[in-house]
Amino acid sequence: MRRFLIFLGVFGAFSHANATIDDAISRALEAISPYAKQGYTVRDDQWGGDLGVKEEKAIPHTLFRGNDYWFAMGTDVDNARVAIHVYDGKGRLIESDSWQKGRFAAARVTAPATGTYYVIVEVTSSPKERTTWAMVYGFK
Amino acid sequence: MIAANCVASFHCLGESAPSQIDLRKFPATQLDDVVVPLPSEVFNVLDKLGAPNWRGELRDPVVGTRGERAQIALLLGSIVAEGFVAVEAADKARVKEVGRGVLELARAIGVEKTVLSRTNSIVTKADAGDWGAVRRELDGALTDVKNAMIELRDSQLAHLVSLGGWIRGTEVLTSVVGKRYSDDGADLLNQPDLLIYFQKRIAGMPSRLRNNQLVNKIQRGLNEISPLINQKITPGSVKRINEITGQMVKAIDSRA
Repeated sequence: MRRFLIFLGVFGAFSHANATIDDAISRALEAISPYAKQGYTVRDDQWGGDLGVKEEKAIPHTLFRGNDYWFAMGTDVDNARVAIHVYDGKGRLIESDSWQKGRFAAARVTAPATGTYYVIVEVTSSPKERTTWAMVYGFK
Repeated sequence: MIAANCVASFHCLGESAPSQIDLRKFPATQLDDVVVPLPSEVFNVLDKLGAPNWRGELRDPVVGTRGERAQIALLLGSIVAEGFVAVEAADKARVKEVGRGVLELARAIGVEKTVLSRTNSIVTKADAGDWGAVRRELDGALTDVKNAMIELRDSQLAHLVSLGGWIRGTEVLTSVVGKRYSDDGADLLNQPDLLIYFQKRIAGMPSRLRNNQLVNKIQRGLNEISPLINQKITPGSVKRINEITGQMVKAIDSRA
């Protein structure tokens, strides 16, 4: 379970699927690993849960002006597609870069001002009714 | 590898995201708790704002283990924040002192094993002058302690650890910004949702904890800071927030 315990509140009725959680975390870490190699400090915490298709979750986050962030999302479900995007407090898309590739997705933000931003995660398609996902982030 | 492939492949672009969304329409059930940033995220920005006199910001770390668990939790957060100041000051002796202090405080609340390797690493990395690694270990120690508390079903104390770190971090931040005021520096204090998060965590604590004299004092301090952070940050408000957080840190340190 590693450090995921702190975010169990997010999971709801999800306790039977520890292996799946770990797998989703592994995917998210896989998605962010290239940025770790580029000098981004990857936080040793993960966020996650399960979502239905086209269902979104918003994770509010205080970002600091001057920091450069990459947020990465992953799922263990084969053939699922996920998306992650970052909006400012006024609901404006603020990311400077983003990509989606099947069960991986990532978005980059250079915070223009310190404040609350919203990381929106979504399962865009999946063969399963509920799809496990995990999100990690790094900064430099 | 995935990201590298995506740079060269339009297949990675996927569906485009709307450029504007209405956050008010976001269902509350789909809204997570606010993420509490790591101390590193703040100090990373402070690094870019010039070179303050970090040695002048150092305090003697208080490692009292006789207080109540609430106070020890707040002290733990505070001493980790002190570790970050010591790293900025490149003060090996102080960083090592902080490492030992974290271990002692963790022992006092029964989560010593969780941070033992982290604290050993803090001392080793400080000796080597590997300040980036010390920062990562300090961040990790904070996370490990909080998670251990949650595993022990003591999430209230975990919130107090975060809060202790935020209070000492904010005291340092306002001190640094106040000495060389700039809009960029003051902008770092724009954390109203984080403050609300901490206020809600205290408000949701069981009454025995909420009515604890120290926790009560911390709650009053947060209530005083709230209006100052919810408006344009001025040199005057930076000074006032510094005074309030300074009093809170003194209260956390006292009688420990």
